[in-house]
Amino acid sequence: MAMMRCRDNEIMVVAELLEGRILPVTHEVIAFALALRGGDSQFIRMIVPGRDIQEMANELADAIGIDVIALEGDHLDPYNAEAWKMALSALLAEWNPRYVCIPHTSLGCDFAPGLAAGIEASCITAIEGVCNREGLITFTRSIFNGKVMMQVASDADMTVLTVLPGVFKAEEKFPTFPDHKKGRVEVVRVPEVLQKTRVLGMIRAEERDLDLSIADVIVSAGRGIGHEENLALIRQLAGLFSKSAVGCSRTVCDLGWLGYKHQIGLTGKTVSPKLYIACGISGAIQHVAGMSGSKYVVAVNKDPGAAIFQMADVGIVEDLTIFIPLVIDLSQTDPHSPA
Amino acid sequence: MMKILVCIKQVLDSDRPVRIHSSGKWIETDPHGLYRMNRFDEFALEEALRIREAFPGTWVDALSVGPERAAQTVRRALELGADEGIHILLDDERYRMPWETASRIAAYAGNKGYDLILAGVMAEDDMQGQVGPMVAEIMGYSSATAVMSEKLIPDDNRIYVERELEGGHREAFALTLPALLSVQSGINRPRYPALSHVLRARSQKLITIAAKTWNPPAPRDHVVCLVEPAPVKSSVFLSGSPLEKAEKLVKILRENAWL
Ligand SMILES: Cc1cc2nc3c(=O)[nH]c(=O)nc-3n(C[C@H](O)[C@H](O)[C@H](O)COP(=O)(O)OP(=O)(O)OC[C@H]3O[C@@H](n4cnc5c(N)ncnc54)[C@H](O)[C@@H]3O)c2cc1C
Repeated sequence: MAMMRCRDNEIMVVAELLEGRILPVTHEVIAFALALRGGDSQFIRMIVPGRDIQEMANELADAIGIDVIALEGDHLDPYNAEAWKMALSALLAEWNPRYVCIPHTSLGCDFAPGLAAGIEASCITAIEGVCNREGLITFTRSIFNGKVMMQVASDADMTVLTVLPGVFKAEEKFPTFPDHKKGRVEVVRVPEVLQKTRVLGMIRAEERDLDLSIADVIVSAGRGIGHEENLALIRQLAGLFSKSAVGCSRTVCDLGWLGYKHQIGLTGKTVSPKLYIACGISGAIQHVAGMSGSKYVVAVNKDPGAAIFQMADVGIVEDLTIFIPLVIDLSQTDPHSPA
Repeated sequence: MMKILVCIKQVLDSDRPVRIHSSGKWIETDPHGLYRMNRFDEFALEEALRIREAFPGTWVDALSVGPERAAQTVRRALELGADEGIHILLDDERYRMPWETASRIAAYAGNKGYDLILAGVMAEDDMQGQVGPMVAEIMGYSSATAVMSEKLIPDDNRIYVERELEGGHREAFALTLPALLSVQSGINRPRYPALSHVLRARSQKLITIAAKTWNPPAPRDHVVCLVEPAPVKSSVFLSGSPLEKAEKLVKILRENAWL
């Protein structure tokens, strides 16, 4: 198939698949690419790495209306960092796009920095925003667990970007070419080469406690509880509510204070209770990823700059070891009895 | 025998206030010097020490790229049990992009014949998560990130690893050595320093190498500026004494029929 080679300003999006289906996060990355391109889909192309993916590539090109490269190779599925980096760097060297956009997922984080390092590209990770500062394109990302934002610009011809999930709104349908209704598909076959990396397979997480998923109220502990003994406060606070459960940040699990089944966040459980009370949790993006669907968030933290307040409905800047006992005390007194 | 390099970074203690430097490009140096080892790197160092325990004779180097104060964190690694501490000394407090740091680590490690390089999954301060996999790429090592378990088998030139995915699922790989792993928190429980190591660390000299020994790597990107996040609406915060705030919160909880 004769196809136009890449123009200078082209953006390539690397799709992420799970069991042969494109993950929603890929649509978010396309939305990001569109924002970067000022809404013009003409210069956006999607790369779908995998095995026997031509049919799916066709469907995608039809459905989304952008051009797709099916990167075919037996060793590309299941994911293998080495094989992906090799296949992608060869493809990118040929197409020479300006930007390569990858979801900031465990998979994207695994291959993006090495890919960039190998092709002399800039690499900017965990992007939450893009802006044009007098012609200079800068990318915004959180640092210090969200207390500060960093704006980064590329100095290289090619830039690899990983886009934070949950930030850019995915669209079902994208503007299509003026004269084509559907995207075009090109199949690029990658020869199998000897790998130093061998895939041994998936290990599913243990079934987690159902408590967290059915709870109306989750009281969650972070490193800020200070000592394991202070978990008693968290448990007591949770005990005030019916249908409640105790959650925590990863750090609390790493310290051995609570089991991993209590962990909320990216690599833990995703929850959406009616009420989430975050106690001594800084609000790192990896934690927020698991609780941003909560209907109402109360945050207790002694640092007014903690990122958790960004998403709180009610914030209390206090030492939790002083504050929580007061709340427990007050809520146990009958509101109607004279004080 | 196995030779391991652990990459460690010194970071500002997370309980310290973060103030943007007047240059706008990084944060103010902490006036009280409250810096410590990046927690994710503590897990990497611990894993190296455990490998040495399982395979006696293994050699563990700890390396940090950083300004003068970073020497203190390299020394901390010795206290925890590293055999040798290496400090790639930067002239100033300026922020370095991951590519620059990775290039310097690779420049040092290139001809040292490490079988295994360990790094934390990311630094707590800049949260880039790039230095480890970049070092691997420059050095041609196989690599895996977010590693939650590793296993070496005698007389096998591979390392068996499990890396963590969303939701706590894992995928397993066998990597041919030499390899680089970026280690996820929770892979182990880092130890406290043993007195014997603390005493040894006191007298042991660090290997200090000026970063300018090598040509500076051409930067591929740069920080334009740091900015404060949008201010939180002041209406979010409850005001008053601790007791008054508690009363307000209980009232809100009751109004919503949660209590
Ligand atoms: C790949 C990857 C995946 C991850 N997945 C997850 C995940 O699933 N879930 C998760 O939670 N994290 C995850 N993390 C870790 C995450 O980046 C943060 O390190 C972690 O969430 C921080 O936990 P924390 O808020 O408890 O601790 P810290 O960030 O140390 O925050 C402690 C907070 O407590 C406050 N505090 C201290 N003392 C008091 C007091 N007395 N009273 C009130 N407040 C106090 C402090 O001001 C601070 O804000 C992941 C990281 C990586 C790299």
